[in-house]
Amino acid sequence: MAPKTNGIGVQVEDTQICVVMVGLPARGKSYIAQKAQRYLKWLSIPAATFNVGNYRRNDSPQPSADFFDTNNAEGERKRRAAAAAAVADMLKWFKNGGVVGILDATNSTKERRKWVLDTVTSHGIEVIFVESKCDDEELVMANIRDVKATSPDYKGQDPESAAQDFRNRIRNYEKVYRTINADGDEDDLTYLKIMNVGKQVIINRIKDYLQSRIVYYLMNLHIRPRSVWLSRHGESMLNLEGRIGGDAGLSYRGQEYARKLPELVLESVGSDRPLTVWTSTLKRTIATARHLPAHYNQLQWKALDELDAGVCDGMTYQEISDMYPEDFQARDEDKYNYRYRGGESYRDVVIRLEPIIMELERSEDILIISHQAVIRCIYAYFMQKTQEESPWVPVPLHTLMKLTPRAYGTEVQMFKANIKAVSTWRGKGSTAKHEDPSPDGGV
Amino acid sequence: MDTLLTAEIAANAPRYRRKSSTFIDGIHDVSDDQGNMAPAQLYSTMSGRLFHSGRIAIVMVGLPARGKTHICVSMARYLQWLGVKTRIFHLGDYRRATVGDGGHVPQDYFYPNASPASVMLRQKILKKCREDIYAWLNHENGQVAIYDAVNPTASGRRSLAKEFAKHDVQTLFLESYVDDEEILKENARNVKISSPDFHGMDPDEAASRYLKRIQEKIPVFETMEEHELNYVKMINAGQAFFYNNVSFNYLSHRIVFYLTNLHIKSRTTFFVRAGTAGEEDSYKADAPLSEEGQAYAVKMTETLLRHREQERKVLAERSGRDEPLRPLTVWTSTRLRTIQTGDPLKEKGYKVRQRSQMSQINPGVCEKLSERAIRSLYPEEVERHELDPYHHRYPRAESYHDLAVRLEPIILELEREQNDLLIIAHESVLRVLYSYLMHCSTMDIPKLKFPRDEIIEIIPAAYQNEAKRIHIPGLDPKMIPGSPEDIRIPVPGPPSGQLSPIPGMSSPAELPEMVVTRPPEKVVNKAKEMVADKVADED
Repeated sequence: MAPKTNGIGVQVEDTQICVVMVGLPARGKSYIAQKAQRYLKWLSIPAATFNVGNYRRNDSPQPSADFFDTNNAEGERKRRAAAAAAVADMLKWFKNGGVVGILDATNSTKERRKWVLDTVTSHGIEVIFVESKCDDEELVMANIRDVKATSPDYKGQDPESAAQDFRNRIRNYEKVYRTINADGDEDDLTYLKIMNVGKQVIINRIKDYLQSRIVYYLMNLHIRPRSVWLSRHGESMLNLEGRIGGDAGLSYRGQEYARKLPELVLESVGSDRPLTVWTSTLKRTIATARHLPAHYNQLQWKALDELDAGVCDGMTYQEISDMYPEDFQARDEDKYNYRYRGGESYRDVVIRLEPIIMELERSEDILIISHQAVIRCIYAYFMQKTQEESPWVPVPLHTLMKLTPRAYGTEVQMFKANIKAVSTWRGKGSTAKHEDPSPDGGV
Repeated sequence: MDTLLTAEIAANAPRYRRKSSTFIDGIHDVSDDQGNMAPAQLYSTMSGRLFHSGRIAIVMVGLPARGKTHICVSMARYLQWLGVKTRIFHLGDYRRATVGDGGHVPQDYFYPNASPASVMLRQKILKKCREDIYAWLNHENGQVAIYDAVNPTASGRRSLAKEFAKHDVQTLFLESYVDDEEILKENARNVKISSPDFHGMDPDEAASRYLKRIQEKIPVFETMEEHELNYVKMINAGQAFFYNNVSFNYLSHRIVFYLTNLHIKSRTTFFVRAGTAGEEDSYKADAPLSEEGQAYAVKMTETLLRHREQERKVLAERSGRDEPLRPLTVWTSTRLRTIQTGDPLKEKGYKVRQRSQMSQINPGVCEKLSERAIRSLYPEEVERHELDPYHHRYPRAESYHDLAVRLEPIILELEREQNDLLIIAHESVLRVLYSYLMHCSTMDIPKLKFPRDEIIEIIPAAYQNEAKRIHIPGLDPKMIPGSPEDIRIPVPGPPSGQLSPIPGMSSPAELPEMVVTRPPEKVVNKAKEMVADKVADED
């Protein structure tokens, strides 16, 4: 296969992987698929999920449990057709440069898995099966009530009878379900089997680094409730002059924000449980964190330092556009990939933030005090912002953001300190100065 | 042998621990201050323990010739790199020390129905080793003790976990389970059979005999199935993993992630510097290669390819068959100089990948300053830097430690890579990657030297890698020492390839023009010979 580049000369992964989900309904397959997709896309690895259920729904929007009975020939045929349509679309997507395609379906029989494997590998794509197996009836029922009873399949139906119908649907799957390699004849497959939310894990025949990375990421996911708090540093002396980068101290108003921050944090946490505070190594974030309670553990990360503007460090936008007019324009055209001369691009920042995201996924209750570009990248990870959007997200000064991951998506709350600050936001293609973000561009 | 203490005294000393009885892995011989061995430690805590994990015993499980020692050594190297205080305790050392030189354990030592005398001996040895583990965890802030022994029975493992729990130590078992005959024989051939017992014997024959001998000595081995224990079962050298996680978290995930990328397949890593850039280059400007730099790229490429061809011929002669070359992959940073240094290889059709993590160390305010200027502008920083050149960071600059953290994903990918690999990077990046592969102390990392006229070749061996230096002939001597764009952070010791007199050779005035300080031609590793005495080492 010829090496591919992503348009700016950086070579992309040359393997293509199909992640095939396996497991009975209500085992968190879609949750895993959704998280993995978000993580990979954030790392600029083209990823997409193909949910067979959605294909089936086109044809049979609200089927009852009988539909899923293996003796129901009509249902069986339709479900097969839905799977075939999903796989066909996925292969088309791979042809157009997809790297990790996730096939979200039960794939609960050996025959079905073999069919997927043969179809996909014949196109030169590697397959890794990811099975979620759960025998804990209570966990399953909780998942059904939380997620499934509100699924489009049961729109407008009584939740309790919906849950019951769904339970019956699962029973139909159980009749034919074989866990991967139950009979020892699927030992050649590459697979990850997660049992009872990570109590036991089997990893079989991992072939390359990207696969091991996916496996590692999935192993770090946990379902304990938690939040992540994000704040920029208080207004800095260079912010006042409209200069980017640098390592300046806080302005008077910035210091005021630092003093107000403990109160904001307390209000948003809602209890006195301590947070762990991560700052960058630059003066302005460390100064912003200095008034937080002493029992909060504080760590400095070089990886949280602001995007390095290279030769433009310490300049105003006006100076940059005067000295490097072409660069200024090039940055507007593709801000995500634009790398300052001798500095970094947003893409580079994302790559250096990767270990931070892994740490965040496994941790609970972290407060991050960092810089505009870095917060944008972390925000983009949680909110699944595209590369076109993420570098333009307004992250106002003197505002604390609380992100709470939920089953499908992340909830955002903003806590304003009501301390004035200059704007450090600039619209795309606009004049070379900071301005107020347009109202519809708000977070 | 290697110590003045007699074995008996050693074994009965209150805190006996092997220092360097076999030299097998270079890990036991580190200074007690393991802080120096932690290039990529993310943060530090008062107790010195990381990842919100307490004290952990990783207990190895598996018969001899299952690659346990290789796993222990690699894992310890990786954990220490992450800053986790890790130490290996080989039960075999305690047994050898207890039975003394030339002594043998009784025939029934490993039998489930061993005689009372053998059971007593076994318990005495075990106790000694466990006491050392506790002492290290309790009094030296150790975090992960790797306990290397056979641990063949479920009941033994259960009581071990209980015993550790009593001392507030969590236990993670790591079993290396092999049922693939080929892997078993390969392991046996590689490590064990250079013993005189098998002298002159056909290697396959010797391997079979050795394996048979193990089976006679240790007749009962139960693979792990204890559902109440935390364990990772590594099957057939990483083909599959089974992970039973009762209460463990991040650290064990991390270990599994590392192990999934570890492989024993032999392949070579080459390191070279990038060519030189034009005069006006700086960290920020990212200048392209100068003409000399381009000429360097061509010569380096020629030397490397010639060397690989030679190696191939040697191999072919030795085996009597035509051996195909392993494919070669090239990694560069995203800096122009490294990319362009890889161009001649790219034109020849080699795969070149750019890795943004491999950019050189950021010099911050020191950029373009002479050492004198740095000293006069930032005298306090220089003072602090000299105290700890590894962790200290000049204003806006990166420390070597920052660089190591940034390079961590590269390290794992390096472990995973199956092809031969050429890394073209800045000297600072080579220092950190080299230090991982060769296990250098953080005190030495900023001083490691990579003159431009050498290709470093690192060949993995069972217990420790071996580094060789290949000379690139015909280079302009001007480009060999630190290039003009190099960072002038004052580090103790002369920069790579700097002129310096060699003591005792001749007076400086008579020195030829280019005498450079260089590390030895080859860092030879004798791991294989040194473990030959472990042939009778059955736990």
